[in-house]
Amino acid sequence: MSGNNKARKVIEINGLNKWFGQFHVLKDINLTVREREIYVVCGPSGSGKSTLIRCINQLEHHQEGDILVDGVEVEKGGKNQTLIRRKTGMVFQQFNLFPHLTVLENCTLTPTLGLQTPKKDAEELAMKHLNRVGIADQALKYPLQLSGGQQQRVAIARSLCTQPKIMLFDEPTSALDPEMIKEVLDVMIELAEDGMTMICVTHEMGFARQVADKVVFMDQGEIVESNTPAEFFADPRFDRTQQFLAHIL
Amino acid sequence: MTLVFEPKANRPAPTNTVGFVGWLRQNLFKDIPNTLMTILGLYLTITVVGWVLNWALFNAVWDASSRRECLDLVGRSGACWPGVVEWLPNMIYGLYPKDQVWRINLGFLALIVWLVPLWMGGVKSKVAIGLSVVAFYPFLASYFFLGGDKGPIWTALVALGLWGLVWVWSTALCERRTGLSIGTWLAQRFADADNDIAQKRVRQAAALLLFVVCVGLVSQWSLSEVRTQFWGGLFLTLVISGIGITFSLPAGILLALGRRSDMPAIAMLSTLFIELFRSVPLITILFMFNTMLPLFMPAGTEVNQLLRAIVAVCLFAAAYMAEIVRGGLQAIPKGQYEAASALGLGFWQTTTQVVMPQALKIMIPTIVGNFIGLFKDTTLVSIIGLFDLMNMARAVGEDSDWLGLFIEPFFVVSLIYFVFCFAMSSYSIGLERKLSAGRDR
Ligand SMILES: Nc1ncnc2c1ncn2[C@@H]1O[C@H](COP(=O)(O)OP(=O)(O)O)[C@@H](O)[C@H]1O
Ligand SMILES: [Mg+2]
Repeated sequence: MSGNNKARKVIEINGLNKWFGQFHVLKDINLTVREREIYVVCGPSGSGKSTLIRCINQLEHHQEGDILVDGVEVEKGGKNQTLIRRKTGMVFQQFNLFPHLTVLENCTLTPTLGLQTPKKDAEELAMKHLNRVGIADQALKYPLQLSGGQQQRVAIARSLCTQPKIMLFDEPTSALDPEMIKEVLDVMIELAEDGMTMICVTHEMGFARQVADKVVFMDQGEIVESNTPAEFFADPRFDRTQQFLAHIL
Repeated sequence: MTLVFEPKANRPAPTNTVGFVGWLRQNLFKDIPNTLMTILGLYLTITVVGWVLNWALFNAVWDASSRRECLDLVGRSGACWPGVVEWLPNMIYGLYPKDQVWRINLGFLALIVWLVPLWMGGVKSKVAIGLSVVAFYPFLASYFFLGGDKGPIWTALVALGLWGLVWVWSTALCERRTGLSIGTWLAQRFADADNDIAQKRVRQAAALLLFVVCVGLVSQWSLSEVRTQFWGGLFLTLVISGIGITFSLPAGILLALGRRSDMPAIAMLSTLFIELFRSVPLITILFMFNTMLPLFMPAGTEVNQLLRAIVAVCLFAAAYMAEIVRGGLQAIPKGQYEAASALGLGFWQTTTQVVMPQALKIMIPTIVGNFIGLFKDTTLVSIIGLFDLMNMARAVGEDSDWLGLFIEPFFVVSLIYFVFCFAMSSYSIGLERKLSAGRDR
């Protein structure tokens, strides 16, 4: 939502390289995301999109390069991963809600346990965010009693309850039935408009057009190009990008 | 023109069986082989049940003073119960002094009383109550069962046991009336609502006060010592299997976590322990602990035989439980760990709050199956000379009055085992239903 080059850098990645065994999955990645910016990452399956955002919150450990989250350097081998993870929120393709806890308990678990917020405050916060994603009336249900779209919205609320500096989305709508995609995207758009900093791996190009500041195209572990949505869609510079766009649009 | 879609009204599902006769037709008399099997099954059931009833009830002798008399009366066609009746106290309590048997009864009564709140409606701290049984009840029970002199430490521990029982009931009753645990209720009653420190003080003071009262009470108790040589029968079986069961679950959980640990030393030690104890029969372990352990101990240290058996059973059971728990952990999708990690939860928080509750729920049938197995396996301690229920039953037929009376006591033993195992298994089925209610798709 802002091309402001003076805003604080929330994510700064320089020369990131990662291997799975001998397989070079991320190659010389550079990426800077400033406060309130929305980045959409797209690319063919297996190009390393998930791995990239999972390196940011250290679900995967990287071997080379620097990652700074909210000004804090991510130490290699996950030494300060808890600190980093509290600054980031992540939403998964498969929701990954805790099925043995109610929606409300899913949201209050981390605040009460990890951050030692008193239970009453944690519940208030949870209700606020559940309200925001439009699911406050289901707070006492268990996740498996909800539809996929509702579950994904709960997952977003659960992440918001840890008050992250940046939200990472990994194909949040790919596991959803078509009629539920919109309700999740609407929540994400609203979040974007409220000024949340986000990196979204998604192939929802409508969403990218509407809210993204930058669209990043990845292939074979590299960032091929990165541009504003207007230019990215109207005038992709690389043949690989053109092929990809021809494929999904 | 636009058409309006109108969904059809719901119809009830068709009934696929019409009444009882329909059900019989469908299931028992569908075709000729099916009918023959039904008739054969019915015939066998009636014959066997009839035979058992005749033997155990209709032809049985209830009044005789020796096996000879029984045989003279009905021969082998009826059971000879007087021998079992005479030995029943021993089969239940072993050689525990008759005038002290009330202590065993009181000990088990205390356990039941302790557990009752778990079934009461409106009680919230059920997990805490369950844990308190494991943490505090053993002190109380061991004093009831063992008795003897108690030094200051022993007194404090027994008092802790009593403290636990009082806490469980006051919390249970308080939660039923006010919805608050006793500690919270007292804290709110006697301290400012927003003064956390004062509230904590009140809780601590109340806990301490109760403890002092318990110490006072316990120091008044004086029970004569009953050495474990006199323990036996069902009582001994329950003690060994009870300790084995209680120990095996937490130890198994730790071992399973250890085996999956990222730290190679811990993973290797856990694996070694588990594989070692799983690849040796329980009976061998019992023998080893019974005969070899004293050889390795420094001369002069006397390790009680019962204790040796209990340690052997515990380690064996823990190894088995570890593999069950590991199986349960493997059933938890990777996404659960990832979600917990991404939220910033640490290893223990993830394990206790996210993974274990789900894994244990899946494992309930297997765990209870294992408990039942362990309960029955404790009969093996009879081989190293402990007089458990099984060995006591055998002793009946070696009594000079009842020489050769084996079937009847073993019949009773089987019934006792059946009742306990069936109760455990029904409880697990009930628990499973309750835990899955409303949480599945
Ligand atoms: N844990 C892993 N071990 C080995 N290879 C992996 C692992 N995770 C992903 N990969 C491989 O890395 C590549 C990039 O995966 P990923 O980041 O999930 O791609 P994307 O999300 O763009 O589809 C794929 O070829 C995948 O097979
Ligand atoms: Mg992916």
